[in-house]
This record gives sequence, C-alpha cells and structure tokens, in this order.
Amino acid sequence: MMSFVLRRPGQSAILLLIMSVLVFAGMYVISDPVAVMAGEDATQADRQALAAALGLDRPLPVQYLTFLGNILRGDFGTSFVYGRPVLDLIFERLPATLEVVFLAMVLGLAFGIPMGIYSGLNRKKPATKLISMVTTIGYSIPNFWQALLFILIFAVWLRVLPATGRGPTTEFLGMQLSLLNPEGLRYMLLPAANLGVALICMQTRLARSGTQEVMYQDYMMFARAKGIAPPRLIGRHLLRNILIPIVTITALELGTLIAFSTVTETVFSWPGIGKLLLDAIYRSDRPVVVAYMILITLMFVLINLVADIIYAILDPRIRYS
Amino acid sequence: MALLTITDLSIAYGLADGRELEAIKDFSLTLQRGQIVGIVGQSGAGKSTIGKAILGLLGENARISDGEILLGSENIARFSERQFGAIRGKRVGYIYQNPMTALNPVLSVGEQLIEAIEANTHRRGQAARDHAIALLTSAEVSHPEERLSKYPHQLSGGLCQRIVFAIAIAAQPDLIIADEPTTALDVTVQQAVLGTLKRLALQEQIAIILITHDMGVVSQMCDEVYVLSRGRLVEHGATARIIGAPRERYTRDLMAAIPSVDEKRPRFDVLDAFEETPGRRRGIDYLKSGIASDVGQTILLSVRDLSKTFKGEKRGEGFRALDQVSFEVIAGETFGIVGESGSGKSTIGRAILGLVEPDAGATISLAGRAIASGDRKGLSQRLQCIFQDPYSSLNPRMDAGTNIIYGIVAQGLVDRRSARVLAEDLLEVVGLPRAASRKMPHAFSGGERQRIGIARALAYRPELIFCDEPTSALDVTVQAEVLNLLKELQESLGLTLVFVSHDLAVVRQMCDRLIVMKAGQIVERGSAEQVLTEPGEPYTGQLLAAMPRVLRSAEPS
Repeated sequence: MMSFVLRRPGQSAILLLIMSVLVFAGMYVISDPVAVMAGEDATQADRQALAAALGLDRPLPVQYLTFLGNILRGDFGTSFVYGRPVLDLIFERLPATLEVVFLAMVLGLAFGIPMGIYSGLNRKKPATKLISMVTTIGYSIPNFWQALLFILIFAVWLRVLPATGRGPTTEFLGMQLSLLNPEGLRYMLLPAANLGVALICMQTRLARSGTQEVMYQDYMMFARAKGIAPPRLIGRHLLRNILIPIVTITALELGTLIAFSTVTETVFSWPGIGKLLLDAIYRSDRPVVVAYMILITLMFVLINLVADIIYAILDPRIRYS
Repeated sequence: MALLTITDLSIAYGLADGRELEAIKDFSLTLQRGQIVGIVGQSGAGKSTIGKAILGLLGENARISDGEILLGSENIARFSERQFGAIRGKRVGYIYQNPMTALNPVLSVGEQLIEAIEANTHRRGQAARDHAIALLTSAEVSHPEERLSKYPHQLSGGLCQRIVFAIAIAAQPDLIIADEPTTALDVTVQQAVLGTLKRLALQEQIAIILITHDMGVVSQMCDEVYVLSRGRLVEHGATARIIGAPRERYTRDLMAAIPSVDEKRPRFDVLDAFEETPGRRRGIDYLKSGIASDVGQTILLSVRDLSKTFKGEKRGEGFRALDQVSFEVIAGETFGIVGESGSGKSTIGRAILGLVEPDAGATISLAGRAIASGDRKGLSQRLQCIFQDPYSSLNPRMDAGTNIIYGIVAQGLVDRRSARVLAEDLLEVVGLPRAASRKMPHAFSGGERQRIGIARALAYRPELIFCDEPTSALDVTVQAEVLNLLKELQESLGLTLVFVSHDLAVVRQMCDRLIVMKAGQIVERGSAEQVLTEPGEPYTGQLLAAMPRVLRSAEPS
C-alpha cells in the first residue's frame, strides 16, 4: 500500500513534463501573442520591442527551458494581459469554481445513489421507469441549452433565483466563498444545478447497474438467508460493493468539472477558472494557459491517487494484493 | 408434532413468453426434530428450489403454485418477505454451496458473523463478539480471535465453510438447510467439514435438510433420503434401504454413475449410445489421420527436474509450487496426477502448456525433442487442454461451432469454409447434434459445454491432451457421460491423456499410471491399480480414506 503511494510521484513527474512540452509547443504553434497584444496598427519596431520585452524573440527551446527553470523556483510566469503572476490569478478564481463543483457533486451523489439503488432493486415499479426516462433526458440535453432553460424558468418566469453573477461572499481561510453566505448561496444554485443534473443522471445509472449486478450475487442471498434486515443489507452489503465504479467516475468527473466547467461559467457569468482559461485562450495569454494546464494535470494526478486509496479502503482484495 | 411438514408443494417459474414452467410438482416431506434427511438428484432436478422455498428465497419470477410448508404449525408457504424476517437465521439456518461466494468479499468475516448474531439474538457489542468466538470454536476454526479480522479471500474454502456453519448456528435454529455444503471443497477437507456439521447437529439438536447430488455424502450423513428427478419425488425412505435396494430405475442410474475407488469398471452404466452418422464417421477419420496412434512403449512426454517458484511480495520470500518433479508419459496411455488442491497439480499442466515459465534447469520434451517455453504457437497444435470449468472456458459471444474452430482457423490449419463442416462433424463425434453448432454457449448445460470443450481440444488433432479436473464442476451422471466419452475417444483414436484430479475414484476409472503430489513434490508413483489398492505412502492412504464411499449395506454411522 505504501509502496503503491510512493511509486506515484515519479510517474506523475514524467506526466507533468510531457504535458508541459505539449501545451507549450501547442500554444506556440496556434497563436501569436504579439499580434494580438500589439494591435493592428502597431509598427514592425513596436512588435519587435514587445516580443523582446516578453522574451518571445528567443528560440522556442530556450523559452521552454527558461520557463521550466522558473517553475522550479515557484514562478509560473506573469500574465501577458493582466501583468500579474498567473498563480495569483488562478488561485483568486479557483474557490469560485471549487465551491460550485462541490455543490454539484453533493447533489449528484445525494440524489443519484439512492435513485439508482431504488431503481436497481425495483425494476418493474412505475417510479423506476420515470427515473429511467428522466435520467436519459437529463443526460442527453446539451449543457448550455439546459442552462438557458434554468435561467428562463427560475430567473425570468418564477423570479426566485438570480440569473447571473456571483453575489456576496464570506471570507473563510482566506478564500471568498458564496457557500457560507445565505444570499450568495442563492446565486450558486443555478450554476451548481446545471452541473449537477448530468452528475445525478450518471450516478443513478452507475448505482442502478451496480445494484442489478450485486443483487444477484450469492452473498446477497446468503445475507438475506441469515436474517439481515433490508437497511443493513442495502446500506452495508450492497453499497460497499457498488461504490468502486462510483468512486472512479466521481473522481474523473470532479477533475473534468473543475478544469472545464467553462460553458456553465460563461452562461451564468460565474467568475471561475473555466472562464479565466477561455479568456486566456482568446487573448493568447500563453503563461496563463500553460500554468493552468500544468496545475490541472497535477490536480488530476492527485484526485486519482485519492481515488486509488479509497478503492483500497473499500475493497480488502485490493488492499492485500 | 413434526418440525417441518411439506405437503404437495408445487413451484412454478414464469417464462419470458408468459407461460409457466413447473419446477417442483407435488413434493411432500416430513422432518422430525434433530433428524437429518437428504434430498438427492441431478442438477436441474429442483433440489435447491425446495430449500429456497423454505426460506422464502425464491426469485421474483418463481411462485409457490400449490401446497403448504408447515414449520411447526405455521404455513410459511404464503409468508411475506417481512414475515420471513422472523424465520431466517432465527429458526432456519442456511448453508450455501460455495462458501467463497456466500461471504461478502468486502466485509471481514468477523463483521459477517457478528451481524448475524446481532440480527438474530439479544447479544450486542462485546457479548456478540464473545459469542462469535465461541461459535467459531465449536465450528472447529483454529485461532478464532485472529480470524474475525480476516476477509474471505484470505481464508481457505474449508475455513470459509466453517464460518458459514458458525453463522448458520448463531441463533440455535431448529433447522438448517445445507445446499451442497461440500461440493466446492477438496475431498480431504470435505470429510472433516461434514464431521463438524454432523456433530453440531447432534449437539444442538438441529435438524438438517442436506441437498446433494453425492450419494456418498448421503450414505454418511442422512437418516432418510428423498430422490428427486425433474421436480418430482421418485422415491423416499431410510438411507440404507434406498442405497441397498433402490426400487426405481432413476435411483439405480444415479448410483451406477458414481465412480468407485474400490473397483475399476470399463464403462459407466449410463445411456449414451452414439449414432453412427456419416458426419461422425468423417470427424473420426479427420482425427485419426492426424493423431499418431502408434500405441507402444514410446515415451511421448518427458518432464525432468521441473521446479516452479512463485515470487513473494518481499524479496527472498518465494513459494515453491513445484519441486524437482520428473515423470514420463507413454504414448496412448492415460496418466494421472492426483493430490489435494495446492499440491501443484495444475502448475505442472501450465508449465507443460507453456503458460508459466518453469525455473531454470527443467527440461520438458515431447516425442524426444525439448520444447522451448516461447514456442506457444507450435505447441498448441501438439498439446491441448480441457479445462475445469466449462462455464468460463468457452467464449460466451461466439456460437459453439466458432468456439471449436476459431483457434485452428486462426492458425491456418484448416480453411474457413471446411472448418464449419468440421465443427459440425466434431460435435457429432462428442455426441451432440450438428445443429448445436449455431447455438450460443449459454444455451448448453454444463455437460454439453464440456463436450464442446473436448471437441475444441480435439480439433487441433493434438498428440497429448491435458485434462485439468475436467468433471469436477459436473454432476455425477453428467460426469459419467463425459468420462465415458473420453474413454471411448481414447480407444478409437489412441489419444494420450494427462488427467489431473483430486477425485481418486475418477482417477481409478480413467488412469493407467499415476503420480501422487503433495506440496509440490511427487510422493508416490506407479500403476493406478497398485497405488490405489496398496498405497505405499501414508499420504496416499489418507487421501483414499478421505474419499466418501457409498456404504451400500451398512447403517449410516
């Protein structure tokens, strides 16, 4: 178990290195920050001066090595657009994204797992058919379209929730959070629900297929035969066995949502990191994009490590092999 | 008053097309307190269905269509799921066929035992834990305290079954349903486990319904036997009477199919006449033209100094599965490898087939030529294998015919068009109809699947077939058919078989010569006749003594 955790950093370092090369080279090929920043009426001399100021006049490998050297000192570079260290920019925006994703995850698990277990256990009940229909629709509906519907229904017609923006926040451990502010929470509900719908549908399906498989296992019948009552049968014997695929997908989704909930953040004007990335790509703000991708890769590595540790806790066969 | 009275019980299964299939028809049984009765029959006879009905565990597509089940004075045939809560684990305990799958793999055995105690008795917390240790002790589990924190995969099958026993007796029920309690266990373990079960039953005055296909087990355990065939009661009576003088033909067939360690019979008396069709003739000719049948004293397979060490997790900690094993197989014979599970039997096979890399220094030669372990493709034409589990050894997404030929087609041994005809011919060779070729594996019974597995192995026209416990997953009557088939094929084709089994009775029926394995070493070798009648080693004697025998005249002990 320990060796398994310790083996990771080496692999992860290689992964990060490859990722940084790809993103760095990719950005170099697809965009020219000088052209974007200098504007159309800049002279050739202006452009050269700008390139020299940004360090863009040097060959690509040299730029890359300088960049790597800076990272090792903890400096991820300075945004071309904002003129501020990119880490500051990212960490300023990160809490906004994290709290929305967190709320969406809670919604997904809290509704998805019980609904999935229910429909797995009661295959022929009308409620199961309803759940199945609703989750199919919820899963197929495009995210941006669903977001617009939410705004239309809850903000325009019913006027119960604000349509866009972040609203007031409360400071907690140096982070600005809406989650702890009753008024701020109202602003969060629509974006979180928009991300949450797909999660609920996915978790429902995972829990349902897991339940249908585990329910027919010999140990479930044996547990019934030995007189175990339904609450324990489901809460312990069944749940413990269906959690592994759920943890896997939750981990993947968590990473994806934090990194790329761009559409939702854009529609709801939510000032998260997804929006930061999109703006940075439009404006060829290379340091922001590169630092962002590296941090996101690092986050995926960490999330997967945590997922692997959870597997081992859930399943002794993994723990002892 | 009788403890349990089943009267005219009928159970129907709903089929996909809306019709109903009567799985059990008019079954009646009476059981007194403390009595042990057996229900025997082939698989598919409906034995387990009766056991499940008593516990309310029938699947949702099954229903009790008629009759009653009186437990004491209550008719539990019409009980709801809720009402069964007061029966299960408290008044009726359950022991399941396969202890490895009956226990939840992700919960510790202690938790699974203690939850049963807490669900069915007034003991809680420390009192429940103390009771768990007492139960494990009486189920003869060594180091009971340490075991509580273990998980099922860390324990042997025998130990898991003892833990299942402890769970079943946790609330001192009046009755235990034991569904094939030892089928999944080794013979040596089987004896001890049955002994424990019988002692517990006597000590706690628990009645047992023992569901089994094994007449040997019945003759040792049961006071009375009920013989079941296709859901109907064929006959019932005292064990000694049923075994000594069976009245019905079905019971006699069931007895005749049981291989005996004590005598060798040329064939089992089961009906399996092969029709001599043109296709079967063609199949046999195909096989004969490829399989060298020069039955003489030539050594076909020679194994020298075969060792295999599996590396442990820590450095220097290895497990020696095979230790300097040497033997020779003569062309045309059936060579037996016997021993308990874990003795290294299957590892020998895997080394010969090139599936595991043996330790340095081993030589394996086929017809005088050493075979390199890397040469898998060349080997598969000369060496084939019949696997233990016919359920997992066929590809479920290919029809039977494709399962038989995809290997030989992939290797270019036959062209695709003639392969299809060949598959059908081979199905006839193993006693299945040509039309079976288009059916998918799930449509076949275990015995039929094993026949398909045999046809698949034969298709290569191999020089040697390695049979790894080919009948241990099958019923006695089906086993008899498959063994008859192997014997018949061997005679007509001059096949050379290496036959691995823990069942000495089967080995007695099949093998010319054999080796006895223990902890990776050969402890005894010789002709099957001599080793199994006058064992030279105490270990072989123990294995023989552990075999359940049908006590044809004696009272059950």
